[in-house]
Amino acid sequence: MIHLSHITKTLGATRAVDDVSLDVRNGEIVALAGENGAGKTTLMRIAAGEIDADGGSVNREGRAELVHQHFLLVDALSIAENLALTHRGFRFTTRRIIEREASAIIESTGIELRDGSRLVAELSVGERSKLELIKAIARKPSTLILDEPTSVLTPNETTELFRVMRRIAAEGAAVVFISHKLPEVLEVADRIVVMRGGRVIAESAARDTNVRDLANAMVGRITEQPSDRATAGRITAIVGVAGNGQAELAAKLRDEERDAGHIPEDRTRDGIVAEMTIAENLALKAKRWNAREAARHAERMIALYSIRASGPLQRAGDLSGGNQQKVILARELDRKPKRIVAAEPTRGLDIEATRFVHEQLRSAAVEGASILLITSDLDEAFALADTIQVIYRGRLSDPLTPSEAATRVASLMAGVA
Amino acid sequence: MRRFAVAVIAAAAAIVLLAFSGALFGHSPWSLLSIVASGSVGSRFALASTLLKSVPLLLTGLSVAIAFRAGVWNIGGEGQFIVGGLAALVASRFGIVASLAAAMLAGAAWASIASAMRLWRNAPEVLTTILLNFTAIHLLGWSVNGPLREHAGQYPQTDLAHVALPEIGGVHFGIVIALAASVFAWWLLYRTAAGLRLRATGLNPNAARWAGIRVGAQLARAMAISGAAAGLAGGIELLGVTHRLFERFAAGYGYSGIAVALLAQLHPLATIASSLFFGALVTGAGELQRAAGISAGVATFGQAVVILTLIVFEHVRADR
Repeated sequence: MIHLSHITKTLGATRAVDDVSLDVRNGEIVALAGENGAGKTTLMRIAAGEIDADGGSVNREGRAELVHQHFLLVDALSIAENLALTHRGFRFTTRRIIEREASAIIESTGIELRDGSRLVAELSVGERSKLELIKAIARKPSTLILDEPTSVLTPNETTELFRVMRRIAAEGAAVVFISHKLPEVLEVADRIVVMRGGRVIAESAARDTNVRDLANAMVGRITEQPSDRATAGRITAIVGVAGNGQAELAAKLRDEERDAGHIPEDRTRDGIVAEMTIAENLALKAKRWNAREAARHAERMIALYSIRASGPLQRAGDLSGGNQQKVILARELDRKPKRIVAAEPTRGLDIEATRFVHEQLRSAAVEGASILLITSDLDEAFALADTIQVIYRGRLSDPLTPSEAATRVASLMAGVA
Repeated sequence: MRRFAVAVIAAAAAIVLLAFSGALFGHSPWSLLSIVASGSVGSRFALASTLLKSVPLLLTGLSVAIAFRAGVWNIGGEGQFIVGGLAALVASRFGIVASLAAAMLAGAAWASIASAMRLWRNAPEVLTTILLNFTAIHLLGWSVNGPLREHAGQYPQTDLAHVALPEIGGVHFGIVIALAASVFAWWLLYRTAAGLRLRATGLNPNAARWAGIRVGAQLARAMAISGAAAGLAGGIELLGVTHRLFERFAAGYGYSGIAVALLAQLHPLATIASSLFFGALVTGAGELQRAAGISAGVATFGQAVVILTLIVFEHVRADR
């Protein structure tokens, strides 16, 4: 059982959790649904005691175990050794003892995972997530929290997971299931809590709700019309839950449309050469290179794009994220390309930098560029785009007008339409 | 400035360790140092030998510097040096220019075998270039024992090349070519768009790709230029120093280029100073062997110390 009352938590500049109260009773499965960044994981990390809240109170009865979205396993060790790491104190042992204990632990959880001597590195993703689950369940928690457990599972594995969840709940534990896949949420949970922007937006029993209502609650505010849309050029937004093929699409366009301006999703990995100066980074696409001319050009760009830098010869890697993004924008947009592909152009940027990036994309559109905006930020898509397409499992939906998208985007993103 | 200091420390560490390790064999460090100094720069003759050793080191050093700058791990300088020498010998009947051009082409082609395997089959060039070294060594061995064996048929070596590089005061003209090559390499890397793209690819291939740079082409280009420099080193060594080929023709110049380039922090102009240092080390070590009975192999020891010192500093920097 957990009892959360008036929890708040600020991470960086954002209020990740904003005055949330939530009870999860023993024997109950509660689903926590919401978009990326809605505050679900932060709230549950607070519930499990991994991080402290800034305000509010947490009451836990017994132990709470949080199974993370990413794996916390040692690849070079076997299944049995990984279990021994969490379940044994220090004492001398042998491989045979560890493996015998491991198979007893695995059996006690009722989850099938054969041959404890196999290395984690050799396991499938589904098997790794089973091992994470076994690690958590074996500690007999009174509250079990699963963060997006099904994102890497096959349908059969998902069914097996749900069976285990129901059994754990029947044995008297409280179970919390974080997910943005609404059909699953409806299938397994007794009660569904929807979060958006750090707050609880909706809460209801599973039998009293449906996918459409939940999707609308999750996405919110989509009936708002953007006010100052670009008119001359076209901005098409590709929206979707991360990992549905956006990165592959951007990489394909990068290789096919070499004359276009490309703004990569991961700016430190793909956008700038950290060891090079701003001037050099700006010149990467230039036909000619002359250090003096490049420095003069960089000075102009620093002024034009209000890049906060000590000068053209500053290392690009020393700039803040927002200013790195401005360097990339300056390089990609200043040549006035007819086509621009921008992937998550404002991810991790503060409000001012985000506004700046949006202005630049809008004015590029006004000047006649056609822009493809790949984003997981729906507000951004609705604020900028003339046309919206949803990407789900690598497939694009038909192009939608913003008003069509307002009613359909949520279910398309969840893969139920 | 810091990089310069690290290089000086590494070079100094090599000299100090060399001197004191001699003490283990009952020699006084100071007398060893003075032997090395007089044997490498102490006389007109010693200076000329140092310069002669420095020329191939400068070119193989440039070869490594250009490749490493582009993120291409060309360890195949030795093999490219050898095929450069072979091509220069075969083409020497057509004159000096043709001979050296053939050396560069052969080095570039030999190195490009590795980039082709990298681009089509993703075979790591670290391995393929080393394996191509062995191939080249055996190719040379077969040549000097078979088709290119001297007409006298007495030794496993070739006849003299048809041409030789002119000499100026005991040093062949290759030194001018090598100096020009290092200025060219500097100009290429730091004063052209092609060089900017090569360096960007070496520093962050992902960002280079997103900026529209054809990363595979950069790799192939860097490898070819690098191979041409090592091949040129082989051609110049043939026409300027050995005048014929034999099995030990390469004498480790290809591998030593790695130490030269690393000490120069991969900067083409600093490579000049670095090659002089190692040239002096090799010449001085030869004098040690004659005067003190210490194996000339200590020069290799000196190279190892330099590389290890640089690696230690590299890690200290990375840790902070």
